[in-house]
Amino acid sequence: MKRVLLLVGVLLATSASAGDVVAGVRARLEDAPLLRGEFEQKKTVTGFKKPLVSRGDFLLSREKGVLWDTRVPFASTLTLTRTSLKAEQGTGGAAYQLDTGREPALAAMNALLFALLSGDVATLATRFRIEGELVGTEGWKLALTPTDASLARVFRNIRLEGDRFVRQVHLEETRGDSSVIQFSHLASTPPLSDTEAKRLAK
Amino acid sequence: MRSRWAILWALVLVAVGVHQVGFWRSARLDTDVLALLPEDEQAPEVGAATRRLAEGAGRELVLLVGAPDWALAQRAADAAREELEKDSALLEPSVTDASALDAAVEFYRPYRDRLLTPAQRAWLARASSEELGGTALMKLYQPAGPRLTDFDADPLGLWPDWWAARATESAARPRDGRLWVSGEGREWVLLAWQSKVSAFALGADARITAAVERARAAVLAAVPEGRLVAAGVPLYAEAAASQASTEMSTIGLGSLLAVLLLVWLTFRSPRPILLVGVSLALGCAVALSVTALLFERVHLLTLVFGSSLVGVAEDYGFHYFAARQGKPPEERGPVLRSLLPGMALALLTSVVAYLALGLAPFPGLRQMAVFSVAGLVGAFLTVACWFPTLDTGALPVTPFAKRVSASLLRWPRFSSTPRWWLGAAVLAVAIGGGLWRLVPRDDVRQLQSAPANLVADQRELGRLLGLPSPAQFFLVGAGTEEEVLAREVALKERLEPLVAGGVLAGYRAVSDWLPSAAQQLADASLSARAEAQAVAAVAAATGESPTRAAFATDVLTPARFLASPAASAVQRQWLGLLGEQHYSVVMLRGLNDPSVLPRLAEAARGLDGVRWVDKTEEISRLLGRYRRLMGGLIVVGYVAVLLTLVARFRREAWRAWLPSVLGTLITLAVFGWTGEPLQLFSVLGLVLLLGMGVDYGIFLLEHPGEGSAWLAVALAGVSTLLSFGLLGLSATPALRSFGLAMLLGEVTIWFLTPCFRLPSGKDIT
Repeated sequence: MKRVLLLVGVLLATSASAGDVVAGVRARLEDAPLLRGEFEQKKTVTGFKKPLVSRGDFLLSREKGVLWDTRVPFASTLTLTRTSLKAEQGTGGAAYQLDTGREPALAAMNALLFALLSGDVATLATRFRIEGELVGTEGWKLALTPTDASLARVFRNIRLEGDRFVRQVHLEETRGDSSVIQFSHLASTPPLSDTEAKRLAK
Repeated sequence: MRSRWAILWALVLVAVGVHQVGFWRSARLDTDVLALLPEDEQAPEVGAATRRLAEGAGRELVLLVGAPDWALAQRAADAAREELEKDSALLEPSVTDASALDAAVEFYRPYRDRLLTPAQRAWLARASSEELGGTALMKLYQPAGPRLTDFDADPLGLWPDWWAARATESAARPRDGRLWVSGEGREWVLLAWQSKVSAFALGADARITAAVERARAAVLAAVPEGRLVAAGVPLYAEAAASQASTEMSTIGLGSLLAVLLLVWLTFRSPRPILLVGVSLALGCAVALSVTALLFERVHLLTLVFGSSLVGVAEDYGFHYFAARQGKPPEERGPVLRSLLPGMALALLTSVVAYLALGLAPFPGLRQMAVFSVAGLVGAFLTVACWFPTLDTGALPVTPFAKRVSASLLRWPRFSSTPRWWLGAAVLAVAIGGGLWRLVPRDDVRQLQSAPANLVADQRELGRLLGLPSPAQFFLVGAGTEEEVLAREVALKERLEPLVAGGVLAGYRAVSDWLPSAAQQLADASLSARAEAQAVAAVAAATGESPTRAAFATDVLTPARFLASPAASAVQRQWLGLLGEQHYSVVMLRGLNDPSVLPRLAEAARGLDGVRWVDKTEEISRLLGRYRRLMGGLIVVGYVAVLLTLVARFRREAWRAWLPSVLGTLITLAVFGWTGEPLQLFSVLGLVLLLGMGVDYGIFLLEHPGEGSAWLAVALAGVSTLLSFGLLGLSATPALRSFGLAMLLGEVTIWFLTPCFRLPSGKDIT
């Protein structure tokens, strides 16, 4: 059923938006079930003079979810599945968890992160107006403007750049904060380790 | 002398006519079912709470449009919306959009520091400063998260959770700019509309129902597997109005045609038809005017019930014409004078019986009683004041009338023979057996008469949306507003385990949106302490110097909160000052199983100022109490009627009295044998029977051996039967059981009365 829905979504998306660019981007993106790599995030937050920089590793399993493990400036892990968001600090015992089961706003946020990391343009097209261009023979750029009021509350716009993979995500939040996330060392192997699978199974 | 009365009555009728014109212009007809419900005798605040909760719902129309998946559901919902928008004079969309939410967020912003969920309160109280700092840092460094404020105004990111907790009070969630519900194998879009027309002004033309049906068709046309479920007071009101108007015309016209046909058969002259028609029309007009003057609004069911009056009010006209038939025109006056004592006595017993209906504290019944009494008096006065004046010319006896009159002589008459006594014994056994099997049932739910599809839709909506029940709630009262909020908190602590155990889906209380002043101050200082630690930890980690924002120094008062856009969800639950105390209502969601109600009642036990209200149970109890009271009244009434009859007829009084007693008993026995439950409304039918059943006996005793009296009784009996028989076909269960009791009783009395007539040649003197 989910597949069918996804397919319907894809069909709608491709017919609904700047079809050619989107189709081109989708053709250039590698459709891997698993993606891992490193991230560097620069977050500009009201009340802080300098951008808040954090680095770490991430893993995206299209089936299971996202692991976002920050190493610098402090160790913390973020586990994101279709139904929950769980954050834990390496030391200090701080933790919080959100169940997205009945909150579409959170579920939407999770789905958005999934889509952004994996370059799932079809899903993005259902909630954003997409404009973009193909760069050279491999690259592409997309600019997303929310069409849905609940997302527009949070994001002013989102910019994506990449080639086979998404290389950079730029988030402009409605409240004035912004983040730039750079990905590096991207690969679609090795497969999920037992520890990783266990974390995502919860 | 007589003409003076005639003129006086004419003047009264002119006044009535003037009033009628105004009445039908403004048509203050009431279809609200609640208007018929009894007033709470002990606790007016409960009534106020119920009214308040119902008031707001009076114009609301809730629709769910569903389809197997979200995309189709949205398409179907758009089709429904387009269709509903076409009739903008009738319906408008309710404002439940994002701008209302934004306004609420802005209103609360200065008080963010004291809006905590119970879980957050517990966590802030116990968390170490490492944990607080860590949480703030993690949220700060999270890739993206929904924030409602800048970092300094909510360093621990508490507020989104508080809003999420508020959002759980409704099953619908914003999704893609719509309100979304998922359940029963479908995805649904919630549409909220409002009727621009008050529920009381909705006519039998059922415009809103028609608009909803068009929207349903549009949904199916757009999405074949789509589905539309609708509920709302306007739909019920329209269903009730159209049902009532159909019944009114059936009962009223049916009785009227029957009466006029009988008059034609008996007298073969247009004059009696015209005059009896006039007396009925005037009776009804007087009834309506008096009711409209005494009550704010005339209820539709009153009119349905009132239309059965046609079969009762014609008695006086029949008697006059039956006695007058075959006599020369100049004897009109003496004829009427000889009839007046019996007629007045008959009117008196009927009036007393109708008024007895008004003893029960059901506004609707009181109205029906007033309507009937006024109608009877109106018809009686028309006959007494006008008939002799208007009834000129000869009125020969017709063969039909002769045959009916003569039939009295062939009617069996009770005499002290073994055969009669054997019959009486058999009857006594049959009655005894029936009474033995009679079961009372007072459940108010059996009086539900809305169309099945509406009830089914309402239930489905209730399941999908977990709507709070308007009939079961907690009423919280205290001397001050502050204490009301504090008492709500105590109650919520008792409800939490029940929510956790799945007994109910949740509750909705004002104190969730507006903490008490003490709670606000405590929570503000709690969050100030914890957030100061969090900000310090973040400062240390980032090497910067962030600060915590300043919040309001005043306390948010009920008055300010209620005037704000934030209060819309719980506005109706704050009853304010009633008498000496302030009251609020805590509503419950997801109560689908009546068997858990006692556990809820238990939850409030021992809490000061908290009262469990179960309207359904309460009304059922009240129905039971009044069923017993009215039952007692019948017994007392029969004794009183017997004494009245003895005063006039001495030793022969039992002849008029016994048939009614037997009629009542036989009716009850038939109910027992057929398994029809005994409930208040059938008992009320028997009360009325007491007042009208003896009329026949009175007429036969007043004019012993006179065929004309029997003729009038026979005609009156047949038309009364028809009226109440038609009432027995009503789709309103209360009226149906009423009509059924009347019908059975009337038939029996009508058959038995001549059996107890005086032996020929004997006179009451």
